[in-house]
Amino acid sequence: MSTLDTTDPTKFMVDYLTSFNEEILRSDEDAGQIVDHYYANDISLMADGQRMGRDDLIAHVRPIRKNRATSRVEVHEAVVDGDRIAARYTLYVSVRGRDLVIEVHFFGRFTPDGRMFEGHMLTRNVDTDADEFASGQAANESEAS
Amino acid sequence: MIEHRYGVAGMTCGHCASFVTEEIERIEGVTAVNVDLTNDKVIVTSDRELALADVRAAVDEAGYELTGQEH
Repeated sequence: MSTLDTTDPTKFMVDYLTSFNEEILRSDEDAGQIVDHYYANDISLMADGQRMGRDDLIAHVRPIRKNRATSRVEVHEAVVDGDRIAARYTLYVSVRGRDLVIEVHFFGRFTPDGRMFEGHMLTRNVDTDADEFASGQAANESEAS
Repeated sequence: MIEHRYGVAGMTCGHCASFVTEEIERIEGVTAVNVDLTNDKVIVTSDRELALADVRAAVDEAGYELTGQEH
């Protein structure tokens, strides 16, 4: 597993987020063991105001497996300070016949061996039609000027 | 109208809530579904008694686990 002190911050986030999801889908390993590879036992994760601990993360493995949710991530920027990382990224998730685009602003802290022990994230669902329209408008305005 | 509360494990966000909601809404007689993410609860309003097995099957279809019904 990548660690914060030896890996480019952007690559660290891509590797971390991608491999967690892939390991869930690829292996039949016990959900608790997979979660323990990526999160410290006393993980405190606050996502959009919802506090999640180890048991919540383990319970969430089941729907990922059942729904065969796949995802890819684009990390736009990431900065590291000691065991802390701040990152802005976009998740592209395919699940239950839907394609979701989710912007994430994340602050986290990681153990020396690369497991998250504290995380805070705010997410925004991107309305792809509206955003494409907005970017199209911007391009049109640029062309007109 | 009848209201029942169920425990559902594994829901972490609004997308999870919508997946569970849309499957439970397919059960005949269901008129409203509200998800309480903080407490891992789903509140189902219906115009008739619902079979627990039907609710469990709907939650399972969405990918989640029904942990119980409050009485």
